[in-house]
Amino acid sequence: MDNLKTNAEITWCTGCGNFGIFTALRNAIPKLEAKGIERNDIVITAGIGCHAKIFDYLNLSGLYGLHGRNSSNAEGMKIANPDLKVITFSGDGNGLGEGLAHTIFAAKRNQDITMILHNNSVYALTTGQYSPLTEKGWKGPSTPGGSFETPFNAISLMLEVGATFIARTFAGEISHLTEILVQAIEHKGFSFIEVLQPAVPYHSWSEYRERVEYLEKEPKTYFEANKVAKEKNKFTIGVFYRTTKPIYHSELYGDHNPVTNRLSRDIRLDKIRKILGSKQ
Amino acid sequence: MVHGVFTFLVGGKAGEGVKKAGSVAAHIFSSMGRQVFQMDDYMSLIRGGHNFSVVSTSLRWITSQYMKANLVVNFDKRSCDTHINDIADGGIIIFNSDEQKDVDGIGIPFSSEAEKYPMKKLMYGVGAVAILSSTIGLSKDQMNQNIKNQYPRGIEDNIKFADSIYDMLKDSCQNKYPLERGDKERPIITGNDAISLGGIAGGLDTYYGYPMTPASSILHFLARQAKNFGLAVVHAESELAVINMAIGSAFTGAKSMVGTSGGGFALMTEGISLAGITETPILCVLSMRPGPATGVPTYTEQADLNFALSAGHGDFLRIVASPGTVEDAYYLTAEMLDLVWKFQTPGILLTEKHLSESSMTIDLDIDNAKWAEPELYTGGEYKRYLDTDDGISPMLFPPSKEIIKWNSYEHDEKGITTESADIIAKMHNKRNKKLNAVIRHLKTQNTVNIIRGEHPTNIFTYGSTYMSVLEALKYGRLNPTLVQPIYLSPLPVWELEEFKNQDNIVVEQSITGQFASLLKEKAGLDIRSVIKRYDGRPFDPIELSIKFKEVLE
Repeated sequence: MDNLKTNAEITWCTGCGNFGIFTALRNAIPKLEAKGIERNDIVITAGIGCHAKIFDYLNLSGLYGLHGRNSSNAEGMKIANPDLKVITFSGDGNGLGEGLAHTIFAAKRNQDITMILHNNSVYALTTGQYSPLTEKGWKGPSTPGGSFETPFNAISLMLEVGATFIARTFAGEISHLTEILVQAIEHKGFSFIEVLQPAVPYHSWSEYRERVEYLEKEPKTYFEANKVAKEKNKFTIGVFYRTTKPIYHSELYGDHNPVTNRLSRDIRLDKIRKILGSKQ
Repeated sequence: MVHGVFTFLVGGKAGEGVKKAGSVAAHIFSSMGRQVFQMDDYMSLIRGGHNFSVVSTSLRWITSQYMKANLVVNFDKRSCDTHINDIADGGIIIFNSDEQKDVDGIGIPFSSEAEKYPMKKLMYGVGAVAILSSTIGLSKDQMNQNIKNQYPRGIEDNIKFADSIYDMLKDSCQNKYPLERGDKERPIITGNDAISLGGIAGGLDTYYGYPMTPASSILHFLARQAKNFGLAVVHAESELAVINMAIGSAFTGAKSMVGTSGGGFALMTEGISLAGITETPILCVLSMRPGPATGVPTYTEQADLNFALSAGHGDFLRIVASPGTVEDAYYLTAEMLDLVWKFQTPGILLTEKHLSESSMTIDLDIDNAKWAEPELYTGGEYKRYLDTDDGISPMLFPPSKEIIKWNSYEHDEKGITTESADIIAKMHNKRNKKLNAVIRHLKTQNTVNIIRGEHPTNIFTYGSTYMSVLEALKYGRLNPTLVQPIYLSPLPVWELEEFKNQDNIVVEQSITGQFASLLKEKAGLDIRSVIKRYDGRPFDPIELSIKFKEVLE
């Protein structure tokens, strides 16, 4: 965990589930380093919300983006320099509300990036409004009579749109969370980790601890994964699905790297001369 | 032919090869060493409707289509009815005699002739090329060679069809407008081709786009060339994704560009603002079409100037520049890429459908393109937002031992979020210093194109309207001073000082006169009159020269 923390003042609430994610990630990075992943190659992006504060606290390079757009920033990093290991942090409102399309398309493309979805089922930083994953009946400032929208299931959604590593874990189970993070970051393709994490002004740890259960075994097929994702309650943790599919940047340009293998100016100009010559 | 300009207009339904016939005509002219300007007018549909292509050629540099054509070829009645008044004095109009009879022109039975071949209507374009070939005095061999080169599918049928049409014109059009050969053959490219090539020449690594006319052809061109130049070219799910992916790429040091039109640009503005605070070098091509909202997708306007100048919330430096010609589009794209990397801020290359999609012959000095190079970190403790004299913080890209943090929140020099009053003000000052730095730099560059004339009135214009004005002045043999600011933000007021208290006329394609307002507000110019066009069509040089005569006399 050495040097992985900046001097920034931590402004999460005491007891926030985000601390668990912060700790687990600092545990995971040395483990990844032991497996040959260079720390300098790891870059992060974050959206806006309580989840995103981790950007300031983690001593890693990256881009603190806009609400919901962090996975697009992450895709752009990976496409430009595929040697980088890109991790994007998102909240449930950030990544499944404002940024839903970007999350879906990053998964659909099987971008070789890892998305950590801090699921606290509420818009915490903006004072407790309902989120895409909030249970029906939530009385927040924007739904004083209780939210009447039904939440969707992020795991089922990710299965549908093409993520190739899909897991749910819990900020209160640091060793499980750490292990999932290591596997997700190592995975070639789009990894989606939903992390259950209480935002303590709105939910208590006990609400989670009472309901969290482990998946007995990892589903072996896509069909089984879908079935399990739908049948189990939304507090079931474990790896729901992993598979191998072609990754986006390899499909786009094979082994090329646009940044490190940039063509020189002279070669470019010669090629332009050829194009204009052949246009005649 | 007036002033040595010959104009060919071909019109018909989408899917009949109208645009292709226009391009082939342009290539025939350029292969004769002549200069060419081609404008395609098409509707937002796939099949049917009415499309036309108008190609004007001259021995000199020609910068506009002429709407009075010497040869008008219509594939159907609708086209003939539309263009019946677009014929120059003594010009020829060709109509489809299978569809109508009472036209004072030459009837060609396009439908029944084409019916004999399996490709049917797809051959109309070949027929137009045959008519043009006959009219300008090409031999059958010359015509057939062109058809072989330009229509590689079904060559035998095409040649048979062309020969039959050519023969029908023996006593009417043949050799009516014999065209002189010019000095040399030149390439013909569109404005969007030039923008794409300029980006590549300037160091482009990644391009992101979402289809939107009239910017889509940049995406298409670069997608085709991606492998050749080692670029990553991506069609993303929305303009929101486009700009944010480009910003992510720029973080790794990739020279990134995006392109769109007004509606897509509206979505991008959130990201433009992100680029402002994160100091991301990003170049956005904004090709204008008539708005508001969906407006008129396949036509031209200049009504997004104010929008471009103030795009994105918050105070930050936006560099906005607009090329006047297809050649300038090449140089300026590379130059803008260089500028956004020098000053680490978003730039907008503002253009219009008229430049994006019109084609012209070019004399390009390919080597005369700038190459984007940021100022790089050289050692010591790295601070992404190091406060320097000119506000420019040296750049460093991952992978690096040093921590590189770009932040959309207000931040300290290391890129960590802050709410401190002192630091907020300090970082505003830091970013604002870049405005002075850009101005100092631009003062050493060509930022305003001025063509001195003898008439005491000055004509101001920008973007591709510059080409329309130039052609109108040539046509009307008028010689006011013509002033075309290339940079619109920062506006090079230092170059415009001399025009204060002079007689100034503005020409632009906006109903509210946004460009005239900018000149009044920023440069303190008096504007006597604003000549506007806002029907989606570019100015016609003859019509515009008449307007000039009214205001100049």
